[in-house]
Amino acid sequence: MILAASMNAEAPDTAESALAGLKRGDSRALETVMGQYQHRLYRFLLRLTQDTAAAEDLFQQTWLRVIEKIGRYDARREFTPWLFAVARNLAIDYLRQRRETSLDAPQESGIAPGERLAAAGLDPLEQLLEFERGSMLAAAISELPVIHREVLTLRFEEEMKLEEIAEISSIPLSTVKSRLLRAMQSLRGRLQ
Amino acid sequence: MTTHQPGRHDHDQIRSLLPLAAAGALSPDELKAVMEHAAVCESCRREWDVWGSYATGLRQLPQPALPKDLFARTYRRVLQERADSLERRQNGWMLGALGLLSWVSSFVAWIAMRAWTGGTLDVFGTNLVDIGPWFLISTLLTWITAGSAAVALGNQRHTRRFQ
Repeated sequence: MILAASMNAEAPDTAESALAGLKRGDSRALETVMGQYQHRLYRFLLRLTQDTAAAEDLFQQTWLRVIEKIGRYDARREFTPWLFAVARNLAIDYLRQRRETSLDAPQESGIAPGERLAAAGLDPLEQLLEFERGSMLAAAISELPVIHREVLTLRFEEEMKLEEIAEISSIPLSTVKSRLLRAMQSLRGRLQ
Repeated sequence: MTTHQPGRHDHDQIRSLLPLAAAGALSPDELKAVMEHAAVCESCRREWDVWGSYATGLRQLPQPALPKDLFARTYRRVLQERADSLERRQNGWMLGALGLLSWVSSFVAWIAMRAWTGGTLDVFGTNLVDIGPWFLISTLLTWITAGSAAVALGNQRHTRRFQ
């Protein structure tokens, strides 16, 4: 419960003092900022990569990159999208190297969630709500293409504005909307 | 009593916006149009509810636990990397300063040697205090010294890392 609260809290953007400390190389500021973002960042990387070992490694690489680039960070911009953009770029590079497949290709899987739900004859969504909606949804999401998982997790779990998602993903706002629409339709299609 | 009969075009258009309405991704005008249509269209209202359930589910996904020690490991690694980076920078500056010092001392020594020898110091038919031979020898000495220093610093760092 506490974990969920800390992950979903609408935390104000990192305090200016902590960022200033980070720029100065203050270890205490680094600890503060890392502590504030650790759960969200790890969750985001895990949603993108679907691999705990890769998410852990990318988590470490993200903070190394942050320390390397923090001198060039423009303090007038929000820190959260900047941080997530750093993590996202590392994750995308990793996925490109690992798979050599398109980022908008669906993930391979065994049995589709829809098939797992077919038995009872109830509306799949009702069944989800009744039993284990969360884990089934998570399983369905894991089968979506990376760009769809990305937009869903940024919008619903990170509760980011569309403009922030556009900044993180380096795409126009209209593309964010169309990706979000396709992601939701695709998710529902997999559960029916 | 009159009821609003939405056109098929409006209906389809509004229906296509419902996932984005549930995601809170519509402009105020679009949302208003969706709400007005849903108020008179039972089918779209139900559909909106379904999308709303998806949106709620997406906000309440099971949360992954942060791996044990990941924070501590990352923190240590970042601090180590920062210390290494600082050391590399300092070593670079030190080598640069030593190189400069070497050139300056070589130049001063050249002037002193020329003054002391009267501009001639023949060894095997070569005047060592001419600018060419002096430059060659001092460059050679500088590179040997700098190379030795770099190797020594590298060894020292390697030893410390694996202690």
